[in-house]
Amino acid sequence: MPNFALQVETLRPQLLRFARTQLRNDAWAEDAVSESVVAALERPGAFAGQSQLKSWLIGILKHKLVDQLRRNTREATLLVGDDGEDLDDALFLPDGHWREPPTDWGDPDAACCRREFFDVLQACCDHLPPVQARVFMMREWLELESVEICGELAITPNNLFVLLHRARLRLRECLQARWFDGQAGG
Amino acid sequence: MQNTLTCRQAVRLMLEDEDQELPPEDRVALQVHVRICFACARFVGQLNFMRRSARAWRKHCES
Repeated sequence: MPNFALQVETLRPQLLRFARTQLRNDAWAEDAVSESVVAALERPGAFAGQSQLKSWLIGILKHKLVDQLRRNTREATLLVGDDGEDLDDALFLPDGHWREPPTDWGDPDAACCRREFFDVLQACCDHLPPVQARVFMMREWLELESVEICGELAITPNNLFVLLHRARLRLRECLQARWFDGQAGG
Repeated sequence: MQNTLTCRQAVRLMLEDEDQELPPEDRVALQVHVRICFACARFVGQLNFMRRSARAWRKHCES
């Protein structure tokens, strides 16, 4: 089935981009993609053609990404303390009120599905401290439940909560600066 | 009444709510707060948008 193999190979760069976005580590990403390609080529019959080939491969890749994350748990755990800033203090006065209330994002969905918006979102994720980015992507891209993420990374639920809390605050701040501020008045 | 959350506490609960079920009393306190605080109501809207857009981004990359 050389044609099938060729089609799979053609999609390799896209798979690699997906894996890099998730793992932020080129060597792990290459491994996950190679394992996925091998798994796909071993059982071409499993691809029934009912979905797009790429979606099917992404489905396989997601499992391989989780495998990589599990294998590299030790490193991830060491990085839990990789963000010393107190983001809450930056947002709130000592009495618990907003220093500056969130600005009005208008109708954010109007722009949300544009390519440029996704590029900004990607850039913002790339700027997160590594472990925050990883858990955020595990949650949003791999759609893992909190308990699964804690299990895979060997972190406590409280660790996970702190990481996701910070990741979401940072992403919001980044979207504000890189997308919504630029939209003001235009 | 225990419904006097500060904005800081409310935001913490909103972020917690993204990833795990809140205890009923926290949920109620949060709802009350958001109804009377325009800044936190805006923050809820921003979190909701971030969730939707992350999903749209993923779909975009998967297809």
